[in-house]
Amino acid sequence: METVWLLLLVFMIATYVVLDGFDLGVGVLHLLLARNRAEQKQIMQSIAPLWDGNEVWLIAAGGTMMMAFPGFLSSMFSGFYLPLTMVVWLLIFRAISIELPHFLEDSLWIHFWNMMLFVSSGLLIVILGAAMANVFRGVPLDATGSFFEPLWTNFRIGKQTGILDWFTILGGITSATILLHHGALWLIAKTDGVIQQRALKGAAWLWGGSLLLTLVMFAACYQVQTQARGNFSSHPWMWILPVLALLSLGGSLLFRKRQRHLSAFLCSGAFIYLFLFGGTAALYPNLLPGLNPEHHLTIYNTSPSTEKLATTLWWWIPGILLVGVYFTILFRSLPPVISASSTDEH
Amino acid sequence: MLDTLLLHRVQFAFTASFHYLFPQLTMGLALLIFILKTLGLRGHAWADVAARFWLKIFGLTFLMGVVTGIPLEFQFGTNWSQLVKSTGSILGQTLAMEGMFAFFLESTFLYLLIFGEKKLSQPLHWGVSFLLMAGTWLSGYFIICTNAFLQHPVGYRIDEDGVYHLTSIWALLSNPWALKQYLHTMTGSVITGCFTMSSIAAYYLLKEKHVEVSRRFLKVSVIVGFAACLIAVMPTGDWEAKQVLKHQPVKFAAMEGHFHTEDGAGMVLIGQPNLEELKIDNPIIIPHVLSFLTYSSWNAEVKGLTAYDRDLWPDNIELLYFSYHIMAGLGTLFIALMGLSILMLLKGKLHTTRWLLWLLMLSLPFPFIANTAGWFTAEIGRQPWLIYGLMKTADGASRNISEGNVLFTLLGFMGLYLLLSVLYFFLATRLIGQGPEALNLNQTDAATAEGA
Ligand code: HDD
Ligand code: HEM
Ligand code: HEM
Repeated sequence: METVWLLLLVFMIATYVVLDGFDLGVGVLHLLLARNRAEQKQIMQSIAPLWDGNEVWLIAAGGTMMMAFPGFLSSMFSGFYLPLTMVVWLLIFRAISIELPHFLEDSLWIHFWNMMLFVSSGLLIVILGAAMANVFRGVPLDATGSFFEPLWTNFRIGKQTGILDWFTILGGITSATILLHHGALWLIAKTDGVIQQRALKGAAWLWGGSLLLTLVMFAACYQVQTQARGNFSSHPWMWILPVLALLSLGGSLLFRKRQRHLSAFLCSGAFIYLFLFGGTAALYPNLLPGLNPEHHLTIYNTSPSTEKLATTLWWWIPGILLVGVYFTILFRSLPPVISASSTDEH
Repeated sequence: MLDTLLLHRVQFAFTASFHYLFPQLTMGLALLIFILKTLGLRGHAWADVAARFWLKIFGLTFLMGVVTGIPLEFQFGTNWSQLVKSTGSILGQTLAMEGMFAFFLESTFLYLLIFGEKKLSQPLHWGVSFLLMAGTWLSGYFIICTNAFLQHPVGYRIDEDGVYHLTSIWALLSNPWALKQYLHTMTGSVITGCFTMSSIAAYYLLKEKHVEVSRRFLKVSVIVGFAACLIAVMPTGDWEAKQVLKHQPVKFAAMEGHFHTEDGAGMVLIGQPNLEELKIDNPIIIPHVLSFLTYSSWNAEVKGLTAYDRDLWPDNIELLYFSYHIMAGLGTLFIALMGLSILMLLKGKLHTTRWLLWLLMLSLPFPFIANTAGWFTAEIGRQPWLIYGLMKTADGASRNISEGNVLFTLLGFMGLYLLLSVLYFFLATRLIGQGPEALNLNQTDAATAEGA
């Protein structure tokens, strides 16, 4: 049962990354791609109706994590106290910088909102990757399963880990590149005209970057986490995950070249799913490795009520189906292509 | 440790109180917007104009509710990690359900409601307004269930190692405490919605702007508001008080300012609790009323605070007492104000009675104060327990975070929320300044004729 919930939880987190990932990516790109207000509006209209729903995946995943693995959530959230609180602040800035222009369309303030959106989205995608890298690398857990990490120490991985070291910074840069690529593909699929052209140009570079960093990251993960080496050598079928991930990344290039823009975007989404499931497989059954292997937090020692987790599926499954219905309605209510001229409706 | 605990509490109290300022308005407005859309569907063109205007205020407030809600969700893990560690599998149920069943619903249909009016047919758009209301009201229910577990835990089992297990999700969701608490809180938010609407209508009428639309939505808000004010006191406020008396007698004694056990206890209307001498200073007390209200008997014995171990007293009795009295006092005044407005409405003079319009306009902040005071009563009165009777607040806080870190984030939240408040006030004032679009009276007539 724990494994089922682990898969469901990773599914929710990955869905969050795929969905909020593209609007965060777009949040950064809009400043680089748009040259005037109409173009900015065109870009923003492709994410404005969606970001809130996308962000709810984070909340729902958080609730699910609390329910299924309370020990994990408790240790992680208190241990990463400062960075998580800052994530919350950034989420606040991100949200108001998307929405307030609807209420205050004023040339002076627009610059301010745009800059705020750029900075907060950019920091969020970097932190997201760094956070995942932290979980993957492991933290100095004590016997009660708690820890507290300083923001940085000496950037090396050792006994004294900090939140930022070379590995987690690499994680941050990787996630930023992948999500910018993902965001660019979204814009290519959803817009036309100059914005689409510029996004196409950007995507070409970002694709190369994603490939390079992904390979580096795979190698680094293998180096840093001994559990990963063990898992992959004792269960060789797991190699399928990174291989499929790379194939999906390749697919996103292929489809982009063939002008099948939506498929390219979906491939990039699949790539992110596979990347994260691959990471989960590498850690399994650990959730948060400790530096001392005796203190690892696993899916077993953080989850209290195995029996109840089975019955919880009774509401969880209808719930997720309903969410599927809402998202279908929401994504279909968006015009298939957003042009610069169609944005002045409201 | 003690100081850190206090900081955790202050931070949670501050962020939760700030958050609740917004949902109470959106949940109330969601109902009113639904009523307006219903009137619109029946052919009243003014109601669609009004709904469109209120939807703008709703959108802005909703945004604030969203951005201030997310920190609360995080804080369970960051600041109350020991609570999560032992009860996460229970509290997480309702929090996850809130996300899956309510927040997704809200975020989807808010967009369709705001941008879909031109694309959707009128009945569909009305349906969307219903779904949005359902979403906000559901999210209220799930979070109240979470809180009710802390107030009155049900459906759990505790292992030797102190970990809580859920034994029945149904018990958790049908917690009798939650049902009553929900009815009372929702009534409170309808009051907020109505007072906000009537206050802005009164402002327009006094300024002689948007008269045709605002005198009509004034009418709606006053009628719904009067009903809600009555329900807040009887039966829901009364239920809440009785349930507190039954399950949390110490909280009850403290919030009433009732220090010594007596037969035929009187109810303190006004006075300041004096904890050195354990009495009320400058009291105005109506004899026997407390006994009557609690046990329906004029001479029943009501236990006072001194009947309980001092360790079990809430740590801030003064604030608890004042919060409760402010809420109940305001509740009484609200009935008077809305009652008067109804009288004038019946006489057809409400929209021209300037002194009453002034009162309605100025009363805007008070329902927010009453609701906040209500939460202070509930939450401070629960102290020193985090989960009533089971877990002390001190045992629920994160242990591995230093005082400085919590102080830093508390100051950060204060600064950020100050900024948010300024932005909200500025933008809300602008929206109110722009007002509803002009009402085409011929259009009203035509639509009404069509509808008839
Ligand atoms: C406009 C809002 C409003 C008004 C007019 C009232 N209340 Fe209230 N009250 C609330 C809004 C509220 C609230 C914010 O919704 C609370 C906080 C937690 C809760 O359950 O509801 C609350 C809590 C609350 C509690 C504490 C429950 C607990 O400890 O869990 C009691 C005993 C009452 N109320 C009783 C009353 C009485 C007797 C009122 C009338 C005179 C009254 N309330 C008016
Ligand atoms: C939104 C309305 C709410 C307000 C205004 C509010 C207010 C407060 C206040 C004033 C305190 C501080 C008590 C003290 O430290 O003396 C507090 C504590 C707390 N409340 Fe609430 N609360 C609200 C809703 C909730 C809900 C719905 C939950 C549960 C899900 C909750 C859970 C807690 C917890 C865990 C604490 C910290 C422990 C404690 O100090 O009691 N609150 N809240
Ligand atoms: C500690 C307690 C609370 C937590 C953890 C919490 C959490 C949240 C979160 C995460 C959101 C944002 C959802 C989104 O992104 O769409 C939110 C919004 C909302 N919350 Fe809370 N909340 C709390 C207290 C309350 C209470 C007491 C109520 C009402 C009874 C309430 C009603 C709402 C509503 C209606 C919304 C939708 C946004 C809005 O209408 O402003 N919340 N809350």
